[in-house]
Amino acid sequence: MAREQPNVGDLLPLLETLPVGFVHLPYLCFNLFFSQKERGSMLLNGLVDYFLETNSAQAMHILSSVREPHDKHLLDKMNECMTRQACRLPTLTLLGHVIRKQPSWIHKIARYPLLLSLLKCLKTDTDVVVLITGVLVLITLLPMIPQAGKQHLWEYFDIFGRLASWNLKNPGHISEVYLIHLHASVYSLFHRLYGMYPCNFVSYLRSHYSMKENMETFEEVVKPMLEHVRIHPELVTGTKDHELDPTRWKKYEIHDIVIECAKVSLDPKEASCEEGYATMPESFYPQIHMRPQDCTSSPYTDLHSSYGRKTSHTYLYRPVFLSLHLSDAVESRFSVVVIRAGGKGTPASSTPATSSPPPTLSDDFPIISLPANTVQSSPPRKVCCLPPLKTKLPCLQTVPFSVTAITEELLKITEETQELPSLRGFDSPFFHTTETLTGCQAQEKSHSSSAQPGGPVRDPHRATSTPDKAENTASTSGVGSETGGVGGAGGDSRSSALGLEQSWSFQSCFTPIDHHLHRSPSAPDDELGKLVGMFSLSPGSKTPAPAPYESFFDLALPRAASLFVGQKTSEAVHKADGEEEGVATASPLEVLDRLVQQGSDVHDKVLKRLPLPSKSADWTHFGGSAPLDELHTLRSQLLLMHNQLLYERYKREQHAVRNRRLLRRIINATALEEQNNAMKDQLNLQSVDIVSLRESLQVEHQRYRQLWDDRETVVTRLHSQIRQLQQGRDDYYTKNQELQSKLQECQKQMDELEAELQGANNKVCHTGHLLNQMTIKLSTSESTQQQMSFLNKQLLLLGEAHKLSMQELHHSGVDNTKEARMLQVSYGKEVETLRQSLLVQGQKLEAAQHRVGELETHLSKKEHLIVEQKKFLEDVKCQAKSELQASDSRHQAQRRITQLLQTELLQLYSRVEMEPSPSCPHGDALAPLPAGDAPLTVGSYPSARSFLGMRARELFRNKSESQCDEEQPQPPRLAGLAHGLKTELNHCFGWFWPSPPTQRR
Amino acid sequence: MADDSQRNFRSAYYEKVGFRGVEEKKSLEILLKDNPLDLEKLSTFSQRFPLPSVYRVHVWKVLLGILPPHGDSHALVGGYRKEQYQDVLEALEVMRYISSSTPSTHVYLRMFQLESQVLPRCSETTPPDEENEDFLSISRAMEEIVDDPIDCYWLIKCFVNQFHTKFGDSIPHLPKSLEHYLSQEEPRLLSHLKSSGALAQLPYGLWFRRCFAGCLPESSLQRVWDKVISGSCKILVFVALEILLSYNIMLMGISRPEGMVRFLCNIPQENTDAIVTKAIDLWHKYCGTLMHAA
Repeated sequence: MAREQPNVGDLLPLLETLPVGFVHLPYLCFNLFFSQKERGSMLLNGLVDYFLETNSAQAMHILSSVREPHDKHLLDKMNECMTRQACRLPTLTLLGHVIRKQPSWIHKIARYPLLLSLLKCLKTDTDVVVLITGVLVLITLLPMIPQAGKQHLWEYFDIFGRLASWNLKNPGHISEVYLIHLHASVYSLFHRLYGMYPCNFVSYLRSHYSMKENMETFEEVVKPMLEHVRIHPELVTGTKDHELDPTRWKKYEIHDIVIECAKVSLDPKEASCEEGYATMPESFYPQIHMRPQDCTSSPYTDLHSSYGRKTSHTYLYRPVFLSLHLSDAVESRFSVVVIRAGGKGTPASSTPATSSPPPTLSDDFPIISLPANTVQSSPPRKVCCLPPLKTKLPCLQTVPFSVTAITEELLKITEETQELPSLRGFDSPFFHTTETLTGCQAQEKSHSSSAQPGGPVRDPHRATSTPDKAENTASTSGVGSETGGVGGAGGDSRSSALGLEQSWSFQSCFTPIDHHLHRSPSAPDDELGKLVGMFSLSPGSKTPAPAPYESFFDLALPRAASLFVGQKTSEAVHKADGEEEGVATASPLEVLDRLVQQGSDVHDKVLKRLPLPSKSADWTHFGGSAPLDELHTLRSQLLLMHNQLLYERYKREQHAVRNRRLLRRIINATALEEQNNAMKDQLNLQSVDIVSLRESLQVEHQRYRQLWDDRETVVTRLHSQIRQLQQGRDDYYTKNQELQSKLQECQKQMDELEAELQGANNKVCHTGHLLNQMTIKLSTSESTQQQMSFLNKQLLLLGEAHKLSMQELHHSGVDNTKEARMLQVSYGKEVETLRQSLLVQGQKLEAAQHRVGELETHLSKKEHLIVEQKKFLEDVKCQAKSELQASDSRHQAQRRITQLLQTELLQLYSRVEMEPSPSCPHGDALAPLPAGDAPLTVGSYPSARSFLGMRARELFRNKSESQCDEEQPQPPRLAGLAHGLKTELNHCFGWFWPSPPTQRR
Repeated sequence: MADDSQRNFRSAYYEKVGFRGVEEKKSLEILLKDNPLDLEKLSTFSQRFPLPSVYRVHVWKVLLGILPPHGDSHALVGGYRKEQYQDVLEALEVMRYISSSTPSTHVYLRMFQLESQVLPRCSETTPPDEENEDFLSISRAMEEIVDDPIDCYWLIKCFVNQFHTKFGDSIPHLPKSLEHYLSQEEPRLLSHLKSSGALAQLPYGLWFRRCFAGCLPESSLQRVWDKVISGSCKILVFVALEILLSYNIMLMGISRPEGMVRFLCNIPQENTDAIVTKAIDLWHKYCGTLMHAA
């Protein structure tokens, strides 16, 4: 960076050496430098200084593109420059450039002292050029900082008051050319202030111009301005405070504010209105000049104003240009003008707007028409004094051109204009003008002087009160015929018209130079002073813009065609762009700026080349000031023009922005309409559907009704059937009940019968039983029968034997018969008795057998019982045995106890016996006996010799008699002792033994 | 049969999954309901299953003949037994063999001696010999098992009598039998015992004469005695074997026979239940279902 620093100063002049196309390169470099803060500020300062010195376009370009963090330095630097008188103008120019660029930080400007110094400058400065530039800058700036107006509002108004009074008082005694400019700027400022802050502004006007010393200014300057504005709606609804409310401005963009300001204007050049175009055309058409308010309020005034702007531009500068051309090709140039007018008129003529002449038209018309007929060169000259469209239209009417001729001319001009820019390039018009400049200078004077008749018409509004209706209608019919002719050319002519516009815009861009060149030598100050009046009427815009024509087309054509128009427009624009691109890649605006620059340079050269005497002669002829002053004046005028041009361009851009938005809205609306139509179609289709559906519904209804009727009949039939069936069912019910009662009876009968059956069964059983008994009886009877038969057989045999014996008997003797008979009887009896005894015996046998059986069963039972008894016995035996064992063991125990006791006893005895003998101590008596011997001692007797043994033997005599038998002979004395012992023992036992049982029990 | 049908059908599985004694009590109750009691069945049951402690004393009494098989005469016989006990006791008291301060085991010993006609003279009482010590230790153990002194005395008496009458002959063969089974189960231990000379010095008296009384705690002991009372002295061999096997490692670690004997006389009382269980299993394994083998 240190390396770069010294280069900064050197770098700046290098900018100029670069071609235009490379501007962005240094711009990028500078941006790079700007990225450092302190370096950036330094560089900025240097750049600003450089611009102030050289007025370099590149430097301006860079400065106007400064970004956010450097705006402070830039604005501070500019503020610093503002303090210097010399730098003020270029600073303001730079500020204008910057503002028109609309950087994002522009709203901050209200906080910087630059604005204050600008306002101060406007209030104090006396240099009119500075003032005008400043006012234009302020006007441009106002919509960008609407909320900042609060604190500076009265300063704005003061500036307005000061500048408005300047016109009249002319304190600096400046040339009137400046005054025109100044007036135009004041007029714009008036519109802006009135549009933005109507209440405050009106109150200011009221307070300021109620003073007597200001009355004159009001009458002369402000009042005519007031006539060009309609009453602001805010004056009715708003208040002073509300106007200054920042929230009010938030919903507005910059171009909105500009348009808002334009809306309240009645001046067709300034005014703008967007609403209500649809209603306007019919009412507007015939009485347009009768009701200028309608005209201004109509949307076409917007078009008109834009139109007017161009035309006003034309009327300002075009004539000069025309006059230049008239010298070498008057005819063709004129036709160009006509075509141009026609071209503009063509779209307008399809709407009533074309017939809405500016109020000045009608009374200018006769003036124009006469010279147009008489002098060929004069009509263009006239045009320069008058609002152009209508002046040209009458020209067309008066000039005996047939419609075909016009169309021919149109075609020709289309070709010509198409090739015009391409042939000439950028320099060519200039070159052309410079060429023609010298040639036509002679004619200039007469032209300018002939412009005088137009001068008196100062106030067009006053002139509107005397319109020539007939002529007006004629003019409109002329326009109509002409538009018809042009319309015959079709879209081609339209596009050619556009082409014309395009080319014309080029030319108009050059015109300031032409004008300047042309006017500067020829136009005297006083003549210009006269022109001021007219300028003041419509001093607005000079910048032609293609954008307004788009909306023009949109309005002129059916809305549905807007897309088509848009396409056409873009084609045309594209074409124009193509033409431009054929020449150079730079934007035409840049070219224009450069041209202005170059033009002024060339102009300087030319002026230097001019012979001084002629110059001086000229100046002296008009009684003007010194040529150097004049030069200065012209330069500053040029500057002013340029400023105003830039201002107008800025306005145009705002309009373009707005138009783009409106166009988008229109497209949206069209799309919606299309959608609407489609919906309507759908609706229709659906209604048709509905109708058909209704018809089918009716058919269905009928069918349904028929079906219903059928169903009704079926239902009634079924009902009757049901009724019948119900009757039948009831019958069945009754029958059923009867049957059930019968059934019950039957059941009762059945029960009875069953009871009978049981009885019968009982009987049957009984009889069966009887039968059994009977069969038994029968069997016995059968057996008896068998016996009987056996006995019968016996009997028979006996009988036979009897017979035989009888026979024998007979044979033997008759005597035996008696005996035999007796025997027989006895036999018989005997048999009988035997038989009976047999019977008895059999019965007895049976009984016996029965008895045997019984006894046998009894026997088996008994045996079983015996077995059981045996078992039981065994069991009991076991039990008893076990019990016995237990008792035995007890007994054994008792025995053991007894034995032990006896042993003990014996021991004791032995002790007792030992006691008397002193030799035997007590301890010896209890001499230990071996335990094993104890039972032996008890069981077996001790030796008979010993005393103890004898005692013991005696003691146990009962127990073991066998043992004791042998010792039967006992000494009697022992018996006594034994007896004594026994009693002692018994006593002892009695002492011990009875007690345990008592204890036990 | 009716009882069988009432038996739980799961009983067959209880043993499989390791639950023992679930059904035993019921079976025993069924057995005890019989009149007269089937001693054969009771002893078989006692051999095969552990006795529930509720019925243990009763079953022992029946098996030892203290109570007759006939339930009807139980009261009568019980009365006899009681009277006998009291007679003997009183006689001893009268003869001043015992006093109120005499320990009950000594009382039992005197009574037993009296009934066996081996009671020494009162003045000739000698310190108890080995047989008496066996009796005393058995009675000490029995005293722990049975509360009632009459029952206790009778059980001791009958147990000792039965043991001597029934197994008196086979006791001398038991050490041989132990050696045999040990050779089958753990030959190394046997060889160790043999080599160390401890085999002959093992506490056979404690094991086979006292039936482990004083060696095992009563809770384990009574299960061993179940088997002994129900007619098997072989169980003693297996208990001894199991003791040897359980303390195999310990014994292997001891080389001196005195140490071994000392250890075996005072084996730890903790896991004797497991030892007994294993011993019974082992006994079942070797003697199978032959309940009266040996």
